[in-house]
Amino acid sequence: MSDKETSDVSAPVDKHENHPSTRRNILVEGLTAILSFLLVAVPSTLGGIFFLDPILRRNKAGSAGGGELEGFIKLAITSDSVPEDGTPVAVTVQSDLDDAWNRFKDVPVGSIWLRKNPDGRILVFNSVCPHLGCSVDYRRNEGDFFCPCHTSSFDLDGQKTNEVPPRAMDTLELLTATNGAVSEGGQELWVKYQNFRRATAEKIVI
Amino acid sequence: MLNALVKWFDDRTGIKDLMNEALYERVPGGARWRYVWGSTLVFTFTLQVITGFMLWTAYSPSTRTAWESVYYIQNEMTLGFLIRGIHHFAAQAMVVLMAIHLVQVVIDGAYKAPRELNFWLGIVLLKIVLGLSLTGYLLPWDQKGYYATQVTTNIMSATPVVGGEVQTLAQGGTEYGHLTLTRFFAMHAGILPALLVAFLALHIYVFRRHGLTVHDEKHAPETTFWPDQVLKDAVACLAVLAVVLLLALFKGAELSAPADPAVKFDAARPEWYFLFLFRFLRFHAVESLGLTFGAIIVPGIIMGIIALMPLTHKFLGEFGHTVNKAFIWLLGAAIVVLTAMAFIEDANDKPHQAALAEAHREGQRTIELASGPDKIPVDGAVALLRRDPFAQGARLFAKHCSSCHRYNGHDGRGTMVVDNNVIAAPTAADLGNFGSREWMKSIIVDFPGHLSAVKNAKWFKDAKAEEAAGNEVEYFDPDNSEMADWSGNVEALTSAENADNLKALVEYLYSEAGHGYKPADEDVTADAADANGVNTELLAVGKAVATEGAWAGDLNGTSCSDCHSGIGEEFVAFSDDDATGYPTLAKYASAEWLADFIRNPGAGRHYGARNRMKAYPAEQISDEELSLLVRWLTGDYLPTKVEDYPNRLEELAATVGQQPEGSQPKEVSADDAATEESATTEPAAADPAGE
Repeated sequence: MSDKETSDVSAPVDKHENHPSTRRNILVEGLTAILSFLLVAVPSTLGGIFFLDPILRRNKAGSAGGGELEGFIKLAITSDSVPEDGTPVAVTVQSDLDDAWNRFKDVPVGSIWLRKNPDGRILVFNSVCPHLGCSVDYRRNEGDFFCPCHTSSFDLDGQKTNEVPPRAMDTLELLTATNGAVSEGGQELWVKYQNFRRATAEKIVI
Repeated sequence: MLNALVKWFDDRTGIKDLMNEALYERVPGGARWRYVWGSTLVFTFTLQVITGFMLWTAYSPSTRTAWESVYYIQNEMTLGFLIRGIHHFAAQAMVVLMAIHLVQVVIDGAYKAPRELNFWLGIVLLKIVLGLSLTGYLLPWDQKGYYATQVTTNIMSATPVVGGEVQTLAQGGTEYGHLTLTRFFAMHAGILPALLVAFLALHIYVFRRHGLTVHDEKHAPETTFWPDQVLKDAVACLAVLAVVLLLALFKGAELSAPADPAVKFDAARPEWYFLFLFRFLRFHAVESLGLTFGAIIVPGIIMGIIALMPLTHKFLGEFGHTVNKAFIWLLGAAIVVLTAMAFIEDANDKPHQAALAEAHREGQRTIELASGPDKIPVDGAVALLRRDPFAQGARLFAKHCSSCHRYNGHDGRGTMVVDNNVIAAPTAADLGNFGSREWMKSIIVDFPGHLSAVKNAKWFKDAKAEEAAGNEVEYFDPDNSEMADWSGNVEALTSAENADNLKALVEYLYSEAGHGYKPADEDVTADAADANGVNTELLAVGKAVATEGAWAGDLNGTSCSDCHSGIGEEFVAFSDDDATGYPTLAKYASAEWLADFIRNPGAGRHYGARNRMKAYPAEQISDEELSLLVRWLTGDYLPTKVEDYPNRLEELAATVGQQPEGSQPKEVSADDAATEESATTEPAAADPAGE
């Protein structure tokens, strides 16, 4: 047994005394630094990219071409059943919903407000508040749209009437059709159901 | 022997030195209660780790399993409600204790040099804990957590430049879904706790390096952490545990209705300790400066001022310390005031309370269905609720029927029906007791009264006016109809000699309507029929009264079948050519009858030419919706213990009365001026007659 083996090996050595910087040491240190960096960087980068999937995937999505009604969803309500007096009606939009690995067939995906103008034109609003995403109600007594979360209010044309929401209610495209073919004055109502970024002055599709 | 073992272990681990260092820290001025806060936080975190790991063994993050697994933990698993309750309330305790710890640190000046770094480590810990509560709030995937967290992630999107990307990354996509849950769960149970442990280790290490910030060295003789301060810490931790246990046992963590993006939730609020921020954002003055200002810049500035406290002291000396103390007290006061404002305003906000009650009610109902014989289907509790007549029937009634009919005086969902700020008079029968014995009896002995609501209708008043002008009009008048004439023999109908006949007839009609729960499982069906409580002994007599006219006195020789067809037969939707001019009584008020009636009230087999009720084709009420509505009105759903909306018939009668002319309807109170779930689809002109 030598002295060296019985001494306390757990205490660090004094670097400057025992290990003068030789060229070999600098090389070893540099190599070790690079290797160590790689050992951390490779898995971290791979993990990071995996984590960014929702952003990377978003840019991949594309829509298939189709007829005039491609991307539109048929509503359960007909033109005639929207009240003539301009009272808004809430309608649930039913469609297939993709959620990661699942496709849910014909489930409620959201809710919209329909309202008939005196000229017979039907306005469609997404019922999601453009402020922070709560649901906008119709208040019969006040004759307006109102969000109970942060008190956003809108007139019946969807224009904002106070400073809370950043923009007007989001209008959606509507087509009338007969037996699945677009036709002026048709009874079927087809809506392009989209959601928009909340809390922005511009209307940005998400 | 034991000593030898300890020595062996110590030689290999150095445990004695470690324990020594950990336990015999100097406490100048003696053990104090004011030093306990840090320890209570470590203890609460330990509670969270233990209960959190246990919840993890049963929780399943996805949109079709999150609510379901939390339901299972809460309602089925051994001590599940207690484990979840502790986790729920200890989380809140942690936020409160952290606020106290922060205030304590600031007023004792424990942030001053050389402890700046530890103060900043503490602020990082504070943010991690807030992150944990935020991510945890969503995990049960109930309406409450879903909508409140939506607001938070939407606020994230207001961050300048990267907001949209940050939101997408947090949500795992552009909309909420499975990945939102898996990501929030990974943050909540993995990443944030790991960070918390790491920063907590640093926090405690640096704390030990600089030692305790002594409040008053002369308070008592110096002592050591063990056992004097440990005793005080343990007592404080026990108090925290007691409070958490009591809350978990007696209050419990709520599980509201499963999240449904298509069912709006009008009571979205963050957890109570974020309410001050919510209330701050609600000031219109704050809003007018933009969401980024109120939700990101102002909180950022406040956190910045707190983080800069060590520097404030460094550059301004003791005055800086005074400024810091004043700031923390002012901030605390502002938080208390804003939180109180939010609480008081919400308590007085009737629509908000109604929305809360609704979410609670639907939560209770879903739990009931999930505990029912069929358990939860693979498409989840939200589908279970969507297919439940009890939950959906009332909504459909409010939407489609309540502009004319009422249900025990209200719109089916507990709200009075309002028109131009006054409680509106019904223009058709109240369906609260549809198909019951009372309903049948009221038709027989008080036909005009049973249908008197139609006299409020515009069509009725117009027809009366027309008639008064001498024109011929065909319309339904409850006071002047053949049925009213027959039913007008009240004395004969209610005479002692006919009492048994009347009772039997009512029982017979009630039995023919066949209301009540009809489960698909046939074994259960038989029990359900018994539960319906039909007195079968009366049925033969009842049928004879209906078809043969076994009445005594003035009514002798008359019977229902003099006019009405189909008594005792199955309901068939026969064509108008076969109609007799009188409504058929085949299984009157049964589910089959009602479904056909709603689709074709004007058919010859129902009210024919004198009908005023609007027909509801499939474009307006789909087959599924019709089935839900009919099953609700005929009581065909899993029996419930959820409290029904209070009966408001008396209130309705008192406000609108049964004398529409000249009466002064009461102004509507705030609760009834509530926002609407949905507008009714029928135009006001289509006033139907009653049943």
